[in-house]
Amino acid sequence: MQIFLIRYLLLSSGLLVLAGCSSSYRQLQAVEGNASCLDQFRPQFTTAIYTTQVNITGNYLSGLLFIKTMPDSSTRLVFSNEMGISFFDFEFDPRGGFKVHYIIKKMNRKAILKTLRQDFELVLMRSLNMNEARIFKNNDRMYYSFPQKKGSNYYITDLNCTTMLAIEKASGKKAVVTVVMKDYSKGIPDTIGISHTNFPFTIGLKRLQQ
Amino acid sequence: MLRVNLSLLLLICMVAVQAQYAGFKGVSDLGRFKELLAASAKNTRSIKSDFVQEKNLSLLSEKIVSEGKFWFKKDNKVRMEYTQPFQYLMIINQNNVYIKDGHKENKISTKSNKLFQQINKITIDCIQGNVLDNPEYKVKLFENSQSFLIELSPSAKALKEFFKNVNILVAKKDYSVTKIELHEQSGDKTVISYLNKELNADLPDSLFAIK
Repeated sequence: MQIFLIRYLLLSSGLLVLAGCSSSYRQLQAVEGNASCLDQFRPQFTTAIYTTQVNITGNYLSGLLFIKTMPDSSTRLVFSNEMGISFFDFEFDPRGGFKVHYIIKKMNRKAILKTLRQDFELVLMRSLNMNEARIFKNNDRMYYSFPQKKGSNYYITDLNCTTMLAIEKASGKKAVVTVVMKDYSKGIPDTIGISHTNFPFTIGLKRLQQ
Repeated sequence: MLRVNLSLLLLICMVAVQAQYAGFKGVSDLGRFKELLAASAKNTRSIKSDFVQEKNLSLLSEKIVSEGKFWFKKDNKVRMEYTQPFQYLMIINQNNVYIKDGHKENKISTKSNKLFQQINKITIDCIQGNVLDNPEYKVKLFENSQSFLIELSPSAKALKEFFKNVNILVAKKDYSVTKIELHEQSGDKTVISYLNKELNADLPDSLFAIK
């Protein structure tokens, strides 16, 4: 059931991307507003464990992702397989810093680290400067855009900013990564889907209730 | 002077070995232990037990605890079923492995997954009594009044990447495995404890069937 939910989320996020591609963000209309409403969607990971499914270029990997906010406000992400063998241990600090505490040799590639870092930064929503946000509207959606070195990150909500529909990392006119976070409980999303559009790579996370 | 230095070095080594595992002392006669382990394994046709797995994340001072059921049947058949807090099933039947993670089913050959192959080879070798013969590990043996502790240090590069060492605790009373500890290079440790063991129960082959 969970996998169908995750697949649904990824599929629906994929459709959202396609919709985004066709509009290429061109149809967005700049509007006045305040991005601080996004704070409510920033996950409050005290500690959380997610069952994890990764599909990457035809290879499938499952395991557990452990997320913890440390006393110094940094966030640690540890991914291991079900038998407990760790694959990586990352630290994200609130100022946008990133540290690899551990990663297995097979995964220790610049491109992999960069991709995982960017993906989880979208999820953590740690270093969003609300004052830098540019706000747009398109039909029934609000787009809160945060300029990056290349392209922008879009946080997409309904018109009243009560539900976050998706997060898109856009390179130029096209979304290259889409994140969906659903069913928050005490500030922690129950389901997270990450989907890449320029190569077959998806991550599905479902929270474990311990 | 040289003799004094050598004695001192010997003393330091002995203290270091004894201090390595609190309460355990080194055993030099591997042969005798091997014989007794093999004799016990010979009489073990099957094992049914519960298990508790604790992953200790050292730097985060956190534990991830999971539990489930374990079945073993001669030869080379293992079923390990995690039931809490997630569903995960692994069946090893000879060289084939079946995995179901609650979402997806996978059939793999142990040859294509070195890590699984090794963890499970250790489990099976322990039960079958030939764990000390695995050429991919350096073996040290320790004991206290209740248990033997077999320390396996990987010598192969691929395994060294994952494990500093794998420790197996064997009960003296029946030479059965009570715990497997996986000490990772990251400093984390996973301990699998086998509880409520039932030896030589009739286990149907269907438990280990890979469809």
